[in-house]
Amino acid sequence: MGQIEFQNVTKLYGETPAVRDLTLTVHEGEFVVLVGPSGCGKTTALRMVAGLEEITDGEIRIGERVVNDLPPRQRDIAMVFQNYALYPHKSVYDNLAFGLRMRKIAKGEQRRRVEEIARVLGIEDLLARKPAQLSGGQRQRVAMGRAIVREPQAFLMDEPLSNLDAKLRVQMRAEIARIQQTLGVTTLYVTHDQVEAMTMGHRVAVMRGGILQQVDAPQRLYHAPRNLFVASFVGSPAMNLLEGEVVRTNGGVSCKLGQAELELPAGGSPVERYAGRRVAVGIRPEELSEAGADARARLTGRVLLVESLGAESLAHLELSATPLDRPELADLAAPSAPLLGEATATVRARLAADTRVRPGDIVDLAVDPRKLYFFDLDSGEAIRAAESAVPTAVAG
Amino acid sequence: MSATPIAPTPVSPTTAHLVGRRRSARKRRAGRVGINALALLVFVVMVFPVYWMVSTAFKTGPDIFGYTPTWFPIHATFANFGDAIHRQYFWRDVANSLIVVVAVVIISLVLALLAALALAKFRFYGRRAFIVLIIAVQMIPLNALIIPLYIALSRAHEVNKLSGVIITYLTFVLPFTIWTLRGFIIGVPKDLEEAAMVDGATRFGAFVRILLPLVGPGLVATSIFAFIQAWNEYIIAYVFLSSPTKQTLTVWLASFTTNRGTAWGPLMAAATLTSLPVVVFFVLVQRKIAFGLTAGAVRG
Repeated sequence: MGQIEFQNVTKLYGETPAVRDLTLTVHEGEFVVLVGPSGCGKTTALRMVAGLEEITDGEIRIGERVVNDLPPRQRDIAMVFQNYALYPHKSVYDNLAFGLRMRKIAKGEQRRRVEEIARVLGIEDLLARKPAQLSGGQRQRVAMGRAIVREPQAFLMDEPLSNLDAKLRVQMRAEIARIQQTLGVTTLYVTHDQVEAMTMGHRVAVMRGGILQQVDAPQRLYHAPRNLFVASFVGSPAMNLLEGEVVRTNGGVSCKLGQAELELPAGGSPVERYAGRRVAVGIRPEELSEAGADARARLTGRVLLVESLGAESLAHLELSATPLDRPELADLAAPSAPLLGEATATVRARLAADTRVRPGDIVDLAVDPRKLYFFDLDSGEAIRAAESAVPTAVAG
Repeated sequence: MSATPIAPTPVSPTTAHLVGRRRSARKRRAGRVGINALALLVFVVMVFPVYWMVSTAFKTGPDIFGYTPTWFPIHATFANFGDAIHRQYFWRDVANSLIVVVAVVIISLVLALLAALALAKFRFYGRRAFIVLIIAVQMIPLNALIIPLYIALSRAHEVNKLSGVIITYLTFVLPFTIWTLRGFIIGVPKDLEEAAMVDGATRFGAFVRILLPLVGPGLVATSIFAFIQAWNEYIIAYVFLSSPTKQTLTVWLASFTTNRGTAWGPLMAAATLTSLPVVVFFVLVQRKIAFGLTAGAVRG
């Protein structure tokens, strides 16, 4: 068992950087998830660890060894591929035993280990079959088994669940997390699905455009995103992002969102520095609720759509506020549909399952101003007091 | 446009539906019979010459030359086969044919596999042009090349030698085999070799243990092609191999036609014998052409 360490790792394809100056440590026994939209460099980073991609600059260590120039077979890692990559001409047994055979492990020991893994994964009955005769979930298990049976220093997983249907994915998600926990093997897991990242990882590393944005425990990532990209990427449904203005009022500071003015809690809020300037304002959908008579801070909007999810309802509302328009949010932000003119933004609110709100209604939503997120419009960085700043991305 | 309301004829929807279905079923059955009849016709047209060759080989002289065709050799005889086998140069030319075919099949498979690997796996300058060229050269009719080839080979002192014919056959077998094998190699996902390398295989080990078995059907298909091409070729062999001891079987077959006419019985027997190795080879290897062998490797 060993740790995986990226030190200022850069990968260029010709002139195009795929990964830029990545520094990240996956500690011994830790489960770290690399997440980001497609093309963010997460798979390239993983493949560099596996030795399937050359490293342009920097250093990768597995355990204590620098592995930059070692071929894959000498790195003592196992990888689960997105497409499973099972050997189609070999039986399940031979697929599982392949790595052991390559390492010249005695026949009896091979059999013992393969059978044990097959039992753990519940695929004992399938050992004689060929991959073509397996269902998607079974193939997934065999691919996992092939990695586990080797007892490597680390697991690398490249979107192993993306080819499964939704139900099976949820099931396998838990299973992989459980197996990792039981074996305690250092694991680097790549996915584009932030739900997968949040539920599985001890820590989650968010990447965008080849650059690491933030590494943190899922809860911290959710509650203290370092910048607009992380804020918009993490969470489902995504955080509502609007453009607002910080204004000084008598005795305090408020945030203006369209016509609404939300009074911010007194006492040295870091946003005070932005008084008189425009900022990006983030509100998690669960922080919006139907306003009672006593609610002080409220936003008024017109309901466009109510999606009933059983335990809750997701309401899409149109507010008169400026939607946030930034390139990093292009493929992620809630679609803003300016039906009522320029200055309308769509927000989503998680309401109670038994909500009476119907499309077309004009409703007031209560907001807790303490739960607002603020971001600098120029840099996209979160605005926070110096002392509460999230440690740098160079975590661990 | 004015909308004129048309009253629909009151037909019970179920009846109309049933009638329609019955009609379409009848039409479909007629279509199927037609297609089967056509297929049968094509089959007969293709198989008849082969049947005629084999049956004539067993017929006696009068049956062969009779004005009323004998459809089935009732008085079957093996005399024609005896004549053919004992004809001069038969065994010599069988050996020649085998040498040519084995050499062409083996050399073309090795060269084509390596070339196809390079074309499928590596990005190099001129790769695209090379691929286009491979298709383009197949468009040139072989007969147009005979004279230039003859001149080139005679300068290299390769005329009237089996090696000259082998080289010539390779020139028109290779483009097809390279092209076909490239398709097979591209069909094997890159992940498989990578998985093998992560699992502990060297690059060469991954090639031998993973890629090669998966490209197997392609190797079989191309070897059948090379075998048939080299075994059945006539024009090149006829032009390039002048001495009877150097000839291949197809050229030897022509020796049954002389100034005094054609010995049809022995010729058909010889032709049947000549066809046999191709059939045997095909039967032996065809079971290996299991297309879609990579199914199940990755999600399909």
